[in-house]
Amino acid sequence: MNQGTVKFDFSNEYPNQTREIILKVYEALTEKGYNPINQIVGYIMSGDPTYITSHNNARSLISRVERDEILEELLRYYLER
Amino acid sequence: MDKLLIRGPKRLKGEVTVSGAKNAALGVLPAALLLSDACTIENIPNILDIAILRRIMESLGTRFIDIDANTLRVDPTNVSSYVATSEDMHLFRGSYYLMGALLGRFRKAVVTFPGGCNFGVRPIDQHIKGFEALGAKVEIEHGHIKLSASKLTGANIYLDVVSVGATVNIMLAAVKAEGVTTIENAAKEPHIVDIANFLNAMGADIKGAGTDIIRIRGVKELKGNAVHSIIPDQIEAGTYMIAAAATKGDVLVKNVIPKHMESLSAKLIEMNVKVEEYDDSIRVWGKDRLNRVNIKTLPYPGFPTDLQPIMSVLLLRADGISTITESIFDNRFQYIEELRRMGAKVRVEGRMAVIEGGHKLTGAPIKALDLRAGAACVLAGCIADGVTEISNVHYIDRGYERMAEKLTSLGADIKRISDNEPA
Repeated sequence: MNQGTVKFDFSNEYPNQTREIILKVYEALTEKGYNPINQIVGYIMSGDPTYITSHNNARSLISRVERDEILEELLRYYLER
Repeated sequence: MDKLLIRGPKRLKGEVTVSGAKNAALGVLPAALLLSDACTIENIPNILDIAILRRIMESLGTRFIDIDANTLRVDPTNVSSYVATSEDMHLFRGSYYLMGALLGRFRKAVVTFPGGCNFGVRPIDQHIKGFEALGAKVEIEHGHIKLSASKLTGANIYLDVVSVGATVNIMLAAVKAEGVTTIENAAKEPHIVDIANFLNAMGADIKGAGTDIIRIRGVKELKGNAVHSIIPDQIEAGTYMIAAAATKGDVLVKNVIPKHMESLSAKLIEMNVKVEEYDDSIRVWGKDRLNRVNIKTLPYPGFPTDLQPIMSVLLLRADGISTITESIFDNRFQYIEELRRMGAKVRVEGRMAVIEGGHKLTGAPIKALDLRAGAACVLAGCIADGVTEISNVHYIDRGYERMAEKLTSLGADIKRISDNEPA
């Protein structure tokens, strides 16, 4: 067993992290044949990572940002464009 | 009947990988009966309940192809029977999902009353309420439940009590009904979300799973022809986390969704156990001294009733008196008698177990009385002095994939023997 397991903190590592995570999760859900919008909405509403596929590490990625941060990013993008 | 011989105490160390969730797989496989074409399901646990369900579904006409040890191709195109009344139906609780699935597919179903672990009264009145609201006629005759409907129509259904089984069954029956069905006061367990994910991937329109309001817009057809992966088993993950803590071990539990383990992780930390969460794994270090805690089982996201018997073994190691209140089932402390044979000091007062920690356990011949009680017995054997002999191992096989093997890989001393084999 690897005794030297290190816990990395990716929060706020770079400013566009939330957007990049949303896009990667979207891509992973699409690749696995899910409706990505429905799945991401389901995750935001319930908080259950079951909505997000483990494909391409998407489930781990989405848990690195808070749900309110995802919603903020989506609203900001929608309202400011 | 096989037995387990466990020599303790042993400190568990290393890594263990959690299998796919039993309760999700037991819902997803019947849900495949609603499809027009075959589908592929990954991460299916190799457990007895799944083998029995497979046998029942094969008898209805379902074709299974094993892609690998945990991946199945499920082809329901030739399913022609809506009658599931074999003896196998009594063997596990999840068989009742065939009611919703067959009703959804054929608009009729004849299904034997389900079996499963005996924790007291486990009514199916909320399931029946849901089927009737969708337009089905429900009759109970000679131990069979007969469902029939000229058509199923969406309805607003408020569940009087939060019921995982009723939530899933109504979802299965409503997914191809006409119009919109709303389930209020729905259960929120992760495997409900997983079953909804599966159906949505196949063409269903289900929203809100994982919240207390689920909205299902009926579709004409579920095409299938997609791949779905079952989520990791929350209860198996919890079992190994508790085992690490109870044996003063150091175990990395892999293939978990840490969010699903929050209620357990919080209690372990409160007890002075070290818990570290990673993306899809959790590492647990046991300590010599453990704090006493009080626990109450609740529907998700509360502390799961399925971990209650296993957690009680850990509380036997805590300093002082802990309590567990069982609020889901009215008779889920039968296993305490088995732990008493090993020297456990526990008294049961109604729905509460009062657990006096700090007394040494010693090996004894005990029985697995149900699935999770069996897991509790195994853990008790791992921390007790001497040899513990556990009978009724088939209960453990119902829900844990290679449990003895996984624990042995962590350092437990477990030998499985059949009755006619010398110990």
